[in-house]
Amino acid sequence: MLAFLIGEAFRNLRRGGRVAASAVLLITLSLAALGAFWVLSLNIGSAVEQWRDRLRVVVYLREEPPAGEVEGLLKKIEGVGGIQRLRYVSKAEALQTLRRQLGGKVSEVEQLPTNPLPPSVEVTPAPEASTPEGTRALIQRLSALAEVEEVQGGTAWVEWLAQLQGLLQLIGLALGGVLALAAILTATTATTLVLHARREEMEIMRLVGASEMVIRLPLFLQGLAQGLVGAGLAVGALYGAYRLALPTLEPLLSFTLGLSRAAFFSPIEVALLLGGGGLLGALGGLAAKGERPA
Amino acid sequence: MIELRGVSKVYRVGPVKVTALADVSFAVEKGEFTVLAGPSGSGKTTLLRLLYRDEVPTEGEIRVAGFDVTGLRRSRIPQLRRAVGVVFQDAKLLPGRSVYDNIAFVLRVLGTPRRDITPRVMQTLKAVGLSARAQALPAQLSQGEQQRAALARALVKEPALLLADEPTGNLDEAMAEEILYLLSEIWSRGTTILLATHRATLADQLKRRTLVLDGGRLLKDEE
Ligand SMILES: Nc1ncnc2c1ncn2[C@@H]1O[C@H](COP(=O)(O)OP(=O)(O)O)[C@@H](O)[C@H]1O
Ligand SMILES: [Mg+2]
Repeated sequence: MLAFLIGEAFRNLRRGGRVAASAVLLITLSLAALGAFWVLSLNIGSAVEQWRDRLRVVVYLREEPPAGEVEGLLKKIEGVGGIQRLRYVSKAEALQTLRRQLGGKVSEVEQLPTNPLPPSVEVTPAPEASTPEGTRALIQRLSALAEVEEVQGGTAWVEWLAQLQGLLQLIGLALGGVLALAAILTATTATTLVLHARREEMEIMRLVGASEMVIRLPLFLQGLAQGLVGAGLAVGALYGAYRLALPTLEPLLSFTLGLSRAAFFSPIEVALLLGGGGLLGALGGLAAKGERPA
Repeated sequence: MIELRGVSKVYRVGPVKVTALADVSFAVEKGEFTVLAGPSGSGKTTLLRLLYRDEVPTEGEIRVAGFDVTGLRRSRIPQLRRAVGVVFQDAKLLPGRSVYDNIAFVLRVLGTPRRDITPRVMQTLKAVGLSARAQALPAQLSQGEQQRAALARALVKEPALLLADEPTGNLDEAMAEEILYLLSEIWSRGTTILLATHRATLADQLKRRTLVLDGGRLLKDEE
């Protein structure tokens, strides 16, 4: 029975011809658009996360505290709240870091008469305080301390990225949504055309007492097949584009966003896209106007 | 098998009302062979369509094969249709499929187990004398053969009642004779038959109980 119904569905697809093909194409387009923005936003999302994680607030001190008082000063700073971790960086350590960073040009640093670098405390905000407002408030509280010369750190860049990610998601959803609507309409038209071609079959089916389910299922399966093929093509095209762009994209991403690798969809996300395609097609199949049932 | 009580059918075509049946009542017992006669436009086709719930009456009550047709829920219509076989003036065979597939199609859409399909189709084809033509396409058949294939399609699901609406209308005398002979064979094996025809001579020649419609009214009911 099921084999028969699936066979009927494929018979439909062959008869649907050009319209069935454009339904598949539109489903491909809508899912490719949605998927492209999704992949972009995925990658920006992981950049945002990575940057959030690396977020540091650097508290520059007016003067180097005596060795015995560092502990107390750190306690005091921690006392402002919203701090997960903090680390004292002495003048000497700062200089060493600078030397390491400069590498070959060490001699220039050696020639400095005194160590010009201020001592500092690296503060990692607690996760609940690492929102833009939380970080701003933390910076204000830190600046108010008497020992503090200046507080640096900020989230503007990360938040800009996060906003970009949101925007991309929105564009992707809007564009994907419009195309999805077009896809459903085309799938509906394809199924309606097939309904016309199959009018005789359906008449006979109803006449001999086939249940509505049996009459409708091939249409549903036809839509589903259209949707799955469309989604498969979309995922394939996206993956092709991804592999093609990878050599140029990856250095760019690592340079601008600090991402070491550009991610593609996980298997679950691919399954979601395929499911979405199947759903679009099946909806189109179900929405097709049938003959008057009786 | 069939029972009509005060059945009327009024078609509405825009503002115009066409009365196709007016206050028709009769009963047909299980195992009867009944002829429904009357000139063109007298309401024969409408009456048959009411019986298999292709149309609903404007008034009155209809019972067919144990189903309360007038009060039948939409979801139960398929069950009624399985109990009633219908053939028309034109065979309405699916042109892209062989005779065998046209008949097997019915069993497939009704969910008959796969292994039962071939024997039942072949047995039915044998009963209408088309065994040799099983693999032919409808276009390769004579009109008489097409009508026999249509009969096989109606019968393969073993309906208790067979409705035949002018089944010989497209056929010459000899072919018409064949179909009528087949119908009486089918009847003799236990199927109740209601045959609609506008040819008075044919009705007479059959020597069966005849219901005569005229202008939507039941004129005569005679043995
Ligand atoms: N679907 C319909 N819509 C409107 N009028 C119809 C329809 N079917 C039949 N009629 C009218 O009902 C009357 C009976 O028709 P029909 O049942 O086909 O008679 P018969 O089969 O005896 O020739 C005719 O006047 C016909 O024009
Ligand atoms: Mg008629």
